[in-house]
Amino acid sequence: MSHSHGASTLSRRRFLTLSGHSALLVGSVALGAGSLWPRWALAEPDLAAGLLRMGRDIYPHDDIADTYYLTPLEPLLESNRTLIADGLADLDRRAEDAHGRRYAEIEQEADRAALLRGIEDGDFFQTVRGTLVVGLYDNSALWEPYFGYEGSSWKQGGYLHRGFNDLVIDWL
Amino acid sequence: MATRFDYDDDSVVVIIGSGAGGGTLAQALARKGIDSVVLEAGKRYQMNDIENDEWEMFKKISWLDERITAGPRQLTDTFPGLPAWIVKAVGGSTIHWAGVSLRFQPHEFRSHSELGDIDGANLLDWPITYDELEPYYVKAERHMGVTGESTGMPYHQWNNNFKVLAAGAERVGYKQLRAGPMAINTEEYDERGRCMQAGFCMQGCRFGAKWSTMYTDIPRAEASGHCEVRPRSMALKIEHDDKGRATAVVYADGDGNTHRQRARAVCVAGNSIESPRLLLNSHSSMFPDGLANSSGQVGRNYMTHATSCIFGVMPKPVHMHRGTTFAGIISDEARQDLSRGFAGGYTLEVMSLGVPFFAKFMDPSNAGWGRDITTALDKYDHLSGVWICGEDLPMKENGISLHDTKKDQYGLPVPVVYKGDHPNDAKLRRHGEQQARRCYEAAGAERIFHVPDFPTSHNVGTNRMSERPEDGVVNQWGQAHDIDNLFVSDGSQFTSSGAENPTLTIVALALRQADHIAERMQRNEL
Repeated sequence: MSHSHGASTLSRRRFLTLSGHSALLVGSVALGAGSLWPRWALAEPDLAAGLLRMGRDIYPHDDIADTYYLTPLEPLLESNRTLIADGLADLDRRAEDAHGRRYAEIEQEADRAALLRGIEDGDFFQTVRGTLVVGLYDNSALWEPYFGYEGSSWKQGGYLHRGFNDLVIDWL
Repeated sequence: MATRFDYDDDSVVVIIGSGAGGGTLAQALARKGIDSVVLEAGKRYQMNDIENDEWEMFKKISWLDERITAGPRQLTDTFPGLPAWIVKAVGGSTIHWAGVSLRFQPHEFRSHSELGDIDGANLLDWPITYDELEPYYVKAERHMGVTGESTGMPYHQWNNNFKVLAAGAERVGYKQLRAGPMAINTEEYDERGRCMQAGFCMQGCRFGAKWSTMYTDIPRAEASGHCEVRPRSMALKIEHDDKGRATAVVYADGDGNTHRQRARAVCVAGNSIESPRLLLNSHSSMFPDGLANSSGQVGRNYMTHATSCIFGVMPKPVHMHRGTTFAGIISDEARQDLSRGFAGGYTLEVMSLGVPFFAKFMDPSNAGWGRDITTALDKYDHLSGVWICGEDLPMKENGISLHDTKKDQYGLPVPVVYKGDHPNDAKLRRHGEQQARRCYEAAGAERIFHVPDFPTSHNVGTNRMSERPEDGVVNQWGQAHDIDNLFVSDGSQFTSSGAENPTLTIVALALRQADHIAERMQRNEL
C-alpha cells in the first residue's frame, strides 16, 4: 500500500470495506505475532507500522505491548488522516535519503530517533506525541503493573492504612 | 428553600467569584446578617463529582476559556493557551489547592522598606503590617482547620515522599522541616472528617478533609438565608452612577442571557487574571482606562512565584503518590538573607504527580521525548519530588492586558497574560534548584532532574494594595482607592508574593475585609 493521494482521501471505514484483511496481511511489514493489534492496524499495515514505530520511538518502554501504543493513535487516522499520512510519507522520504530504507525498517533506534529530532518541531510529530502522552500514560491498565502507580484510592479509603508512610530508608 | 434576591434589590453585596476570597467573604458577611449575591462563572459540583483522576478532573473543573500566555518564559511555548491552572467552579481554586497554609513573614509586608529600590522591580510596602493581620491569620486558621497551634490539630505524619526529601535535607543541614501547617484535617474538625491520605489533593478532596469553600463556606452561607449563589454566571461589566459609585454588575448566565444585578457594594474575587480583566472591561467615559485604575496599576505587577521542580530517582520504591500531594515543607530558605545573592526567600515543598501528569509535565518542550523521559517514567514508583515556591518581584511589565481583536464566547477581549523573570527571580530559582538537588544527592538519589514550570496556580498582585492611591489599586481594606463601594477580595490585592502559598493570606484578608464592610455599613457609610 502506498500513501497515494487516493488512499489518503478515502475514509478509513470505507477503506476497511474495500480492502479486506487477508490480502493485506500477506507480505505486510512487521506484524508482531502474539501482540494484539487493533483491527484497523491489520487493515492498514503500512500506516500502522509507521505510527507504531514512531510511538515506540517517542515513548520507548520495551515491556509495554504494541496495542497500548496503537489503540490511542488509531483515532488520528480519522481525525488527522492527511497530516498523518503525509507526515509518515515525509518521514519515509527522509529515511530513504539517509538510510536507503523506510523509517520503520531502520534497525537502529538511534538512527530513527535522529530522524525524528529533525521533525520534532512540526505539527505531525507533536500531534502524534501529544496524543500519545495522554493515550499511553492515562491508561489505567498500565499504571500499577508497569509503573507502580496505584491510581484512584478513595474507594479503598485512601492510603492511610495502605502504606502512605511505610518507607524505611535503609540505603543511607 | 434557597434564598433568591431580586435583580433590582440594591441592598445586596455582589461578590464575583466563590473561591478563597469570594466564598470566605460571602460566608463571613452572612454570619453578620449581610445579604450577598455570589456570581460564579463555573458550575456547581457535588462531592460525588470528585474523582481520583488527574485528566478527568482537569477537564471537569479547570478554567479553560481562551487565554494567551505571553512573555519571555518557557510556558509561552509549552502552554500557549493555558497560562494558569486554576478552577472554574463553585468553590473556585479552593477545590484544586494543595492545603499548604503558611503565614507571610513580617518582612514580606514591607519589601520596599527592607530592600529599597531594585532596578526593574516595582517594589512597594503593603499598607498593612504583619501585626495587623496576625489576628486574622489565627481566625483564618481556625476557620479553615489548619493543623498547628490555632486549632490544636497535630501535623500530618510524614509520608514516604517527605521522608525521602527530609532525609536529604537534614544531611544538608536544614532544620525547619514540618508536615504542616496544612488546611487538611488530621482529625475530625468543623464537621469534616480526617485526611485519608488519598493522594489527590489537587483534583479535589473526595473526603472533604481539605478545606474548600465548595463544601464549607458556600453551603453555609446559602443555608443562612443571607446568600444566593448563582453558578454559571460570568460577570461582564461593573456599572457605576454619575458620582462614580458602583451600582450593578452585568453578567451572562449559563444560557447566554444577560442580567443586571444591582448592588450596594461590589467585591471582585475572580483570581488575578479575571479580576483585573473585569475592571479593565468595565471602562466608561468617566473611567476610560477601566474601573479603579487611576493609578494605571490594574493588571500590572502580576506575580506567580518563582518556581521550579526537582525530582530524584531513589534506590527503592517511594510511592510518592500515596498521601497528601504537598506533604511537607522546608522553611530554612524562606528567610530574607541578601548574602545568598538575591532578595526574598523560598519554601521547599515536597510534591507528587500521578503518572498521567508526570508524563505530561516532565518535559513539555518539543524535545521532551525519548529514552531520557521514559527511563524516568520506568522508575515512577522510585521518584520523589520537590517544588520551589519562591518570592518573585513585582514588575510593571508583568501583567494582564486585553487582546486587541480576539474575543471570547461572551464577546469580551481575551486576556493576555504576560510574565517574565526579574534577574532576582532567576537567581532565586537557581539557588533553589541547586539546594533541592543537594537534598536529593544527600538522600542517595541515583538520578536527579528538573521539571519545568507548569501553568501557574499562584497568581497574585494585579490589583495591588497601596498606601497612596497613585501606587496601587486598593487600600488596606481591599477597597478601591477610586470607588468607595468597590472592593477586591482575592489574591490580586497582594503587594508582594512572599515565599508562601497565597490561600491562607487571601482568607485572612477576606475575613478582615468582611469586618470592615460590616463596620462601614453600621456607620451608614456603605
